[in-house]
Amino acid sequence: MSNAATLAGGFPDLSKLPVARQAHWMRWFTAAAIVAVLLTIGRAFANGQIEWSYVSRFLTAPVILQGIVNTMVMAVLAMALGIFLGIVVAIMRLSPNPVLKSVALGYTWLFRGTPLILQLLLWFNIALVFPTIGIPGLWSARAVDIMTPFLSALLGLGINQGAYTSEVMRAGMLSVDAGQYEAAKAIGMGRLRALRRIILPQAMRVVIPPLGNEFIGMVKATSLASVIQYPELLHSAENIYYANSRVIELLIVAGLWYLLVVSILTPLQMLLERRFARGFSQTAR
Amino acid sequence: MRRISISAGLAALAAITTAHAAELPDAIKQAGVLRLTVNSTYAPMEYRDPATNQLVGLDIDLANELAKRLNVKIVWSETPFAELIPSLQTKRADFIISGISDRSSRRETADFIDYLTTGPQFFVLTDNAAKAAIDLCGKKVGTTRSTSFPVEIEKWSKQNCEASGKPAIQYVPGENSIDVRNQLKQGRIDAAVQGSETLPYAQQQEVGKYRVVGEPFAVGYQGIMFRKDDAALREVVTEHLAAMIADGSYKSILDKYGLGTHAVAQPLMNAATQ
Amino acid sequence: MTQPLVAIRSVSKTFGEFQALKQVSLDVSAGEVLCLIGASGSGKTTLLRCINQLTPVDSGGIWLDGELLGLREEGGRLHRLTERQIARQRLKTGMVFQRFNLFPHKTALENITEGPVQVQGRDRQEVRSEAMELLARVGLTAKADAYASQLSGGQQQRVAIARALAMKPMLMLFDEPTSALDPELVGEVLSVMKELARSGMTMLVVTHELGFAREVADRVVYMDHGAIVESGSSRDVLGAPREARTQAFLSAVI
Repeated sequence: MSNAATLAGGFPDLSKLPVARQAHWMRWFTAAAIVAVLLTIGRAFANGQIEWSYVSRFLTAPVILQGIVNTMVMAVLAMALGIFLGIVVAIMRLSPNPVLKSVALGYTWLFRGTPLILQLLLWFNIALVFPTIGIPGLWSARAVDIMTPFLSALLGLGINQGAYTSEVMRAGMLSVDAGQYEAAKAIGMGRLRALRRIILPQAMRVVIPPLGNEFIGMVKATSLASVIQYPELLHSAENIYYANSRVIELLIVAGLWYLLVVSILTPLQMLLERRFARGFSQTAR
Repeated sequence: MRRISISAGLAALAAITTAHAAELPDAIKQAGVLRLTVNSTYAPMEYRDPATNQLVGLDIDLANELAKRLNVKIVWSETPFAELIPSLQTKRADFIISGISDRSSRRETADFIDYLTTGPQFFVLTDNAAKAAIDLCGKKVGTTRSTSFPVEIEKWSKQNCEASGKPAIQYVPGENSIDVRNQLKQGRIDAAVQGSETLPYAQQQEVGKYRVVGEPFAVGYQGIMFRKDDAALREVVTEHLAAMIADGSYKSILDKYGLGTHAVAQPLMNAATQ
Repeated sequence: MTQPLVAIRSVSKTFGEFQALKQVSLDVSAGEVLCLIGASGSGKTTLLRCINQLTPVDSGGIWLDGELLGLREEGGRLHRLTERQIARQRLKTGMVFQRFNLFPHKTALENITEGPVQVQGRDRQEVRSEAMELLARVGLTAKADAYASQLSGGQQQRVAIARALAMKPMLMLFDEPTSALDPELVGEVLSVMKELARSGMTMLVVTHELGFAREVADRVVYMDHGAIVESGSSRDVLGAPREARTQAFLSAVI
C-alpha cells in the first residue's frame, strides 16, 4: 500500500508517517465572503449620499460633547436608582409579609409590562393627571415645575430599571446558601440585619456582573429620553440635523459615540466579572 | 420685501415654463403611479382623521386633484418630519407636499414651488393674560424643535424684546405640535408657536381653548419640494397647479380647511426670503 | 432537684405528610453533655433545630432556662412570639452546623466578632481580644485573618465553634459537627469539643461518632422514627442496650 512497514496481523506501522496540515478550505472561503460583504457595505457608505465632512465636523461639536456628558450622568444616576429600588423590591418580594410581597409583585409587573418610552412620556406629562404635587396643608408645587425633563428621565429610567434589577437581585439572594441565613439567625440576627450584613454582600458578588451588563443597556436606553426633551446625545444630534437636514451624518456621529462608550465599558465589565467570580471557584477543602 | 420675492418667483417660473408644455417623466407615466410621503401629524395639512383613521388634509386633497389631472394614482407613505427631505433625496418620494416651509437652507439640493402662505403664529390658552405679542417677552414659549420655528422665535425675540430692553423669550422644545399643545395645557409653557395654517383646525378641535396673539410674525411659504435635477416633473406639476388656481378648484380646497386667506395668486418658485 | 436547663415536653413536628417528631419529651441538665444518636430521619436533627427555633414546633413546648421558647401563653391560648423576640431567645444557644456555614466574605476573626458587635452591641476592642482568646482556645491564632476558603474543613469547623462561643451561650448545639469532614480532620474538632465539655458547657450533640459519645457523653439518647427509644449513660446505651432497635442500630454502624 505505502512505504509503511507492516506489523503483525497485517496492520501497517503508521508511526513513521507525518500528518498533513489541514487545508480548512471552507474557513478561508467564508472568511473571504464575509470580507467581501463588509467591503461592499463599506463602499456603499463611502460612496452613498453621505457628506463625511459633516460627520467629522460635528463629531466633537460642543453640543454633542455636552450630550455625551448628559447621557453618562443620566445613565449612572438612573442605574443607581434602579439598583436601590431593585434591592428594596427584592427584599419585599422575599418577605414573609404578604402585603409587601404583593406590592413587589405589582411593581415588577407594572414596570416590566409597559414599554419604557411610554413610562417616560407618562412621567413627563403627569401634570395632566396631577396638576399639583404636594402634602396637603404643608407644601405644594406645580407638577410641571417639579417634573423637569431631567427628573422625568431619572424617574422613568430608574424605576423601570428597578423592576428588572429586582429580579437579578432576587436571583442573587436566592443563590446564597440557605445555611448562611441559618448561621446568621443562630447568632441572634433578625431578618433585616442578616440580609444586610450576610446575605446581600454575598449576593452582590453574583449580581454585579449582570448589573454591569444592564448598565451598558442603560447607556443606550437614555436615548429614549430625547422625546421628553432631556438633552442627551441623541437629542443633541437631532437638533443639529433639524437645523441642517443632515440626518444620516448626525446619526452616524451619535452612533460612533455610543459605540465608543460601549466599547470602553464592555472590557471593564468583563474585568469586573472576572474579579468577582474569583472568590467563588474555591470550595471548602 | 414680499413684492420683490413674488416678482422674483414669477420671473423664475416664467423662465422655465415658456420653453414648452411640460410632460410627465417617463418613469412615472409608465408606472402610472406617483410615490408621495407625508408626515401625517400636521393637521389640517396632513393627518389621520381620528374618527375614520383615513389620511386626510389640505395637502392630500391638493395632491389627489393634481394626480387626477395627471392621470396617475398616488401611493402614500408616512414618515417623521425629519425624514421628508432624505426621502426626496433617496427618491423614495417623487416630490414632497407635506406642510414643509420653503427655506433657503433647504434649497441646496431641492427647489420649492410655493403654494400656500404661512408664518409662525403665537397662541396661548384663552385665559392667559397676554394680549399682544410683546407681552410674551421673558415668557416660556414652546414649539416643535424639528421645525424652523425655534430660529424664528429667537429672531423675533432679538428684534422685539431685547431691542426694547425686555427680557428674551425662553424657548422650550417640544417633539411635535400635539406635544407642544400638551405642554401649554399643563402650564409648562406660557405660549406656543405653530404655523398659522394649523391653528384654525386646533381651535376647531378644542373650541374656546386657544387664542392667537398678534399676527403671524414672519411671512413664508409652504412649498412642494422637488429634486434639483427633476425639472421636468416640477414643470408639469407647476403647470397643473396654476390651472387649479385659475379655475377655482385650488381656492375651494383651501376654503374647505378654513385657509382661504392663505392662498397664493399663482405658484411661486423659491420665493421665501428666509 | 434543680430545674433542668432544657425541658422538652410533648413536642411534635410534621413536615407535610412526614412526622419528624412524635410527642418527644426530654430533659437536659446544666453542664450535661448529651449525645443524640440514630439513623437519618429519626428526628434527632429536627429536635436540635427546634431548640434554637430554626424549625418551629407544631405542638408541645420547649423551656430554656425556665423561659418558654417561641410562644407566649395568654388566656388559655398560645401566641407566637415576634421575630425579634425569637431572635433574642436564640442568644442563649449557640449552634454548630454540619457544613460549618462560616461567612465567606469575612475573616475568621470577623466571623467571631460579628455577633457580639453587631447583635449584642458590645465594644469592638473588647470583643476583638475575646475573639483572639477563643481562637487560641480552638488552636487557630495563626489563622485570625484567613478567609473560609483558605481553611481546611476542620479549621473552619473550629472557627465555627469559636463563633458560637463568642455569644456566651448557656447551651451549645452541635448538628453532626464532623460528618462533613475528611477522616483525618475529625480528630482536631473532637478534641475542641472534649475541652469544651470538660470546661462545663452544656452540650447537645447529634453525632455518629460513637467513640466521642463513649468518651465524653454523660448521657446518650437513641431516637428512631421521631421518638426516643432509649436513654441512659453511654456505657449503658452503647455497651448494653436494652431495646432491640438500639441493638440493631448499633450493630449496623459499628
